[in-house]
Amino acid sequence: MATNTTCTKSDKNMNEEAPCILACPIRQDARDYVQLIARGRFNEAFRLVRERNPLPSACGRICTHPCETKCRRNSTEAPIAIAWLKRFLGDNYSEETRKTTTEKYPEKIAVIGAGPASLAAANDLALLGYSCTIFESNPTPGGMLRMGVPTYRLPRMAIDKDVEYIKKLGVEIKYNTTLGVDITFDSLKKDGYSVIFIGVGLLESRSLNIEGVNLDGVLKGVTFLNEVNTTGRARIGRNVLVIGGGAVAMDCARTALRLKPDKVSVACLESRKEMPTTDFEIEEAVHEGVILNNSVGPKRILGKGGRVCGLETLKVKYVFDDQKRFNPAFHEGSESVIEADTIILAIGQMSNLSFLKGQEGIQVTRGGTIIANPNTLSTSVHGIYAGGDVVLGRGTMTEGMAQGKKAAIAIHNALRNASLKDAKWAEKPAVPDLASSRIPLIRKEQKQEMPAMSLDKRLSNFDEVEFGFLHNAAVREAQRCMNCGAGAIVDDNLCVGCITCVRVCPFEVPKIKRGDTTAYIDGDCQSCGLCIVECPAKAISFKTSYEDRGKDTLETIFQDKFIQGIKPLIIHFYCQYGEYYNEDTTTTAGDLLLKNVKRVGVLGLGKVDPSLYLRAFELGAHGVLVTACKDDTCHFCKEREWIERRAKYTTHLLAGLGMDTRRFKTHFVSLQDDKEIVEISFNMIEELRNLTEAQMR
Amino acid sequence: MIVASSKQFQEIKQMLSGFKKVCVLGCGSCVTICHTGGEKQVTELAMQLRLAAKLEGRELEVIENSTLRQCEWEFIDDIKEVIKDCDAVVSIACGVGVQYMAEKFPKIRIFPGVNTTFMGGPVEQGVFWERCAGCGNCILGTTGGLCPVSRCAKSLLNGPCGGSQNGRCEVSAETPCVWHQIYDQLDTQQLLATMERIVPPKDWSTGMENHPRRMVLEHLVMKK
Repeated sequence: MATNTTCTKSDKNMNEEAPCILACPIRQDARDYVQLIARGRFNEAFRLVRERNPLPSACGRICTHPCETKCRRNSTEAPIAIAWLKRFLGDNYSEETRKTTTEKYPEKIAVIGAGPASLAAANDLALLGYSCTIFESNPTPGGMLRMGVPTYRLPRMAIDKDVEYIKKLGVEIKYNTTLGVDITFDSLKKDGYSVIFIGVGLLESRSLNIEGVNLDGVLKGVTFLNEVNTTGRARIGRNVLVIGGGAVAMDCARTALRLKPDKVSVACLESRKEMPTTDFEIEEAVHEGVILNNSVGPKRILGKGGRVCGLETLKVKYVFDDQKRFNPAFHEGSESVIEADTIILAIGQMSNLSFLKGQEGIQVTRGGTIIANPNTLSTSVHGIYAGGDVVLGRGTMTEGMAQGKKAAIAIHNALRNASLKDAKWAEKPAVPDLASSRIPLIRKEQKQEMPAMSLDKRLSNFDEVEFGFLHNAAVREAQRCMNCGAGAIVDDNLCVGCITCVRVCPFEVPKIKRGDTTAYIDGDCQSCGLCIVECPAKAISFKTSYEDRGKDTLETIFQDKFIQGIKPLIIHFYCQYGEYYNEDTTTTAGDLLLKNVKRVGVLGLGKVDPSLYLRAFELGAHGVLVTACKDDTCHFCKEREWIERRAKYTTHLLAGLGMDTRRFKTHFVSLQDDKEIVEISFNMIEELRNLTEAQMR
Repeated sequence: MIVASSKQFQEIKQMLSGFKKVCVLGCGSCVTICHTGGEKQVTELAMQLRLAAKLEGRELEVIENSTLRQCEWEFIDDIKEVIKDCDAVVSIACGVGVQYMAEKFPKIRIFPGVNTTFMGGPVEQGVFWERCAGCGNCILGTTGGLCPVSRCAKSLLNGPCGGSQNGRCEVSAETPCVWHQIYDQLDTQQLLATMERIVPPKDWSTGMENHPRRMVLEHLVMKK
């Protein structure tokens, strides 16, 4: 997203990046797409997401969203539902106009596996101008997304939608093709592939080295999930026990529940707080009826007649030692038994590197992962790159995609002897935590709840549990975003140090420190824009291009050549905070109003300059209508008094010009979708119709 | 700082009537801080002029510009290029700036867009009060730091007049009686005795009575 090139104090606050963006392994522009949703600009928001994220629909569902962990809204009430907002975009929007490359390079690139890392690499390489072929051993794409992630969390149509788009970029996928079986490194070279990217993931479940693991009824996590995900069935007993405390364990437990046994429990080494997955997933599992046995370690699996009948456990002393290494210790003599007739091992995955036979040049670790340069993802063999779980050992979907993306750039640079860099990876300081004195000044805004299937319904099928946000909820949720690091900025060359911004800011952000001659606005700016309008030197502006304070929208309205034929023509400035979004994305008030009213929505009217109202008249409006919120209940807290003042001032300016002041009206309404607005507009149209030609000029 | 208030728009419009291309010229110092002559005001006045012309159905081109200080030859040098095709300039700097412009560009009509009012400051956001009359002979050292010359309606030097009521001035109830304030201040500082000293008639020749006043710093004057 383009930013202003304003000169500031040592450019300090231009460099600061929103913590949500920095936390993301692929540096997704989280703040910016959220801000676009807040303004109802859904298509642009989707385009922005897709620019960096090859799998938006899938990512919006199963991402572990470190962005939300770092969200500065955590210090006021709860983080923005960034992932759910991405899912909202992925579900409802798609990009019709595809970014096509002008450059086409002759080199062919082979990508092994169709998981997140591989798909990201192929997507970015295709965008750079290379022809890529993905070789996938399964009959369908997605890798672990399809094999491992249950459909109630990630419906397959989400993966298909994302992959379909990648295919439209020109990426070819050859299914049922296994490296080391159907193709080899040599055959690929012979077929003209100059570069190979290995993103095969970790396909094998780890096993336990304890007595009884070979008993009938002991299943491996990924195998179990894959079976259920592909057939909808699996052979389990009445009493299922999952060993493991991570995301896969939760997936196994919740999947098993849907096969209707009497009981599903989880046993893991970690305490509830130490469990290596998100709270949300644990809570959902417990909510659905999974019983947690924390801080217990498996001693042996008990059997009767060759079949599992339980797990003998030991109480855990600690999981991590003083050096914070995984090194569990147990209390001696603390044995107890958890009864079970099926045990699913979900204690991690490991690689199967059999395809590397004859490629001893590729260095691997003792843990069975491929060694690759963390920046270029190149392996020890020239022309062979690797990324994703097969390099990371255990990583998230976004970490995998990040490696794929980095590899794509590195491959391009190597093939072209170029030095392309992705500016988003650049090291930047994060916008610091909200100042504690500021927290009470920021309005608490409740997080939108995700509509979900009721408990009794969800356990009888594998349908997606969460329904996704409707437009209105998505916009409300996005409007909670504080726009960290993209708020107002002072141009040192223009600021005269008049202190107006310091005085008008409701959040006490601008400062002129002793010894300074100009003001400074830091990352705590909430983007209300009051200071921008009141600054007498026009020294303050918003950093990002998505905030035009209504100007572009107004000018666009008058680019329509038929506009001048409308009489009377009213320009209606309204606050998007109260706006209601229908599923067809138009507003109810907008539908009802006549062609005489053209609307300019702004996120908070405090940022609209009275001169913009004059500009509307200059462009040819017969009337200007402003509807603002009655109760100051929005994010910006104290706008009403300013809007009232500016209304008075604008009326004074118009009177000075000898214009009929009935042509400018400001109303305070309770909701922007209210019938009230429609009535106000109709009345204004009527009133203007009664004015003479001279009064209307 | 110098405080100026915007002229009535009708007056400005009248001054500029008949011109086809005008420049609204702001000043980036005092008048920016008092919100009547800065960049924002330039935009607003230009917009009003365009609208007024539109309402009257006549052609008018308005260009917008601003400089750091209009009261400095070097800072207005560049304006030459900006205004070269203009019929007139409306300067919204203080009277000093307007005159600098008029002197620098004798062939072009320069009009004032503001009324220069006083030397003072913003006592609160949006409220400006006079604080100095430029009398040329400062007595603040004996009056507790409060100026009776600029803040007393009668510029009295020996205590309040009979019109001081409840700490307010009889001329306007909005105006605090500065002599009441001086009394309180000297009381705080335990210097009330100074009030007993009779101040002889002030020599007003250093002030407004003797303009144009001039100040020369010999050590800085350069040979031309």
